[in-house]
Amino acid sequence: MTLELRSINKRFGDRDVLRNLDLSVADGECVALLGPSGCGKSTALRLIAGLDDPDQGSISINGENVVAIPAERRRVGMVFQSYALFPHLNVRKNLELGLRIRGSRAAERDERISNILEVLQLQNQAEQLPSQLSGGQRQRVALARALLRDPLVYLLDEPMSNLDAQLREELRPELKRLMIGGSQPVVYVTHDQQEAMALADRIALMRNGRIEQIGTPQELYHRPETVVVAQFIGRPQMNLLKPQNGVMVGIRPEDIRLDQQGVSCRLLSREWHGASQMLLVESERGPLRIVCAGDQTISEQIQVNWERSDEHQFDLDSGRRLSD
Amino acid sequence: MRRHSAWIVLLLIWSLAPMLWQLLTSFTTSAALVDGSIPFLQRWTLNHYRELLSSNPPFWRYLANSSMLAAMSTVLTTLLAIPAAYALTKIPKQWRQPVRFVVIAAALFPYVLLFLALLELARQFHLGNSLLALALPYSALQMPLALLLLTAAIEGLPVDLDDAARLEGLSLRQRLRWVMLPLIAPATASTAILVFLFAWNEYPIALTWLSRSDLLTLPVAMARIAGSSIYSVPYGAYAAATVLGAIPLLVLVLLFQRQIVRGLTNGAIKG
Ligand SMILES: Nc1ncnc2c1ncn2[C@@H]1O[C@H](COP(=O)(O)OP(=O)(O)O)[C@@H](O)[C@H]1O
Ligand SMILES: [Mg+2]
Repeated sequence: MTLELRSINKRFGDRDVLRNLDLSVADGECVALLGPSGCGKSTALRLIAGLDDPDQGSISINGENVVAIPAERRRVGMVFQSYALFPHLNVRKNLELGLRIRGSRAAERDERISNILEVLQLQNQAEQLPSQLSGGQRQRVALARALLRDPLVYLLDEPMSNLDAQLREELRPELKRLMIGGSQPVVYVTHDQQEAMALADRIALMRNGRIEQIGTPQELYHRPETVVVAQFIGRPQMNLLKPQNGVMVGIRPEDIRLDQQGVSCRLLSREWHGASQMLLVESERGPLRIVCAGDQTISEQIQVNWERSDEHQFDLDSGRRLSD
Repeated sequence: MRRHSAWIVLLLIWSLAPMLWQLLTSFTTSAALVDGSIPFLQRWTLNHYRELLSSNPPFWRYLANSSMLAAMSTVLTTLLAIPAAYALTKIPKQWRQPVRFVVIAAALFPYVLLFLALLELARQFHLGNSLLALALPYSALQMPLALLLLTAAIEGLPVDLDDAARLEGLSLRQRLRWVMLPLIAPATASTAILVFLFAWNEYPIALTWLSRSDLLTLPVAMARIAGSSIYSVPYGAYAAATVLGAIPLLVLVLLFQRQIVRGLTNGAIKG
């Protein structure tokens, strides 16, 4: 199954929220829409789901244009950021409502629901109301509801942004196992680059309603097409050196190493993370972030160096990558 | 804590004393009402009630009329107001504020100023002397208030709920039935009670639209009792009518008190 968006435009009032958006997601592929808040990620999902209509452009699922099909019959499984569980129904009835409306028989409903409750380890919560569940449990109910929809496409709108960091990491493999890698295309919205890199086959980095760059996580990391992409992908952020002759040079903190023959720097601050540590230093080419091994001893004055081939060069005016 | 209870007792006395007074009056003989020297045991009587119920038409007739009228107005108002309120939350953002302004203005408008115009309408369309027809202006007059309360309730629901239900395949009607209605039930109950109260108490329109004595509503009938004699006010009969007229409302409030309190305090349904 495939999903294809072609030259989508969407305005709200006099604001262009999506401009000429193209996106195609292959059979079983997971594409992450990554970008700062307000860049139009949720809007893109709502258009695919049919909750809003595009002003221009076409949306096809399996090659069939679905713009005219109302959301009720579009067969997408969506997980909302707020989970949007029905607060007056217990977990079982939350899952049952849609199945019943779509005409599945009572015996079949019961079987499917108890299966999915077991898969998601929610058997003991079946009779509880959403308000009695923990954040992680609510999230799993929302996943279960989307799975039971038998969708043609999965849409996930920041499904883990309301969970704490540890729970997020625990849920990632589960999400991968259940939704990603089936035959349905998955569009995964997030503003967390780590999550995008962990889950997605390709990442579409969005900014101001446009896709800035789309590619595999490796492509975005090793060959960012613009300064914005370079700054968004990879933590800690890429260093941008003082521009010279209209060229801006970027170097990743993890590509910098300590070297007696290198540029001398003064240590400003230091964060220790266990396996690694992050140094902030002042050099003649501007402030630098450096990542090095956690057991390295660091003095006030250090010398650093990097390979010329690890440098990323961007045009100062356009911010575009200069080919090397 | 002690200070609080003192205030509560004071407030209870303040609001309940007049009702207790009416209750006592309704069981007191007419003679004892004006003569304090009559001994305690000879002051009491059921005569006022007996009179009321044996008059022509009997008093329960007015109770029945008012109950029917109020019930019809309530049903009509809620049936129209719930879909309308849902629609009001779905119209484009730039329209919502002006529409709300108009609705608030309509809700605050003193309806008494309309009663001549309404009477004219009743004449034109032969709507006089019909309880069913009287429910029309009643629900029209209560519509703005009902819309305000129900729109607020729907807007207070968690976002995305309606969208999630759409993606689950629920049609507009199914969403109203299975998601919206259960969630706004408390607000609907308190709205219904307010509409019911209005219809139960309304006087000027009922006075002008109804003239057949077997169709009168409670307030009009009570006014007739109060003004039945030029020389004396029938306090006892009047008090008995008040007591009887309050009973259906008390029953209603007792039945729905949980929903009403929840609807008035709201916010208990966030998921
Ligand atoms: N229904 C709407 N009406 C008006 N503006 C909207 C609406 N939905 C979204 N927007 C605007 O569109 C922009 C993109 O929103 P959204 O897609 O939710 O961003 P994201 O999900 O990337 O944070 C925001 O500036 C938001 O204010
Ligand atoms: Mg969003």
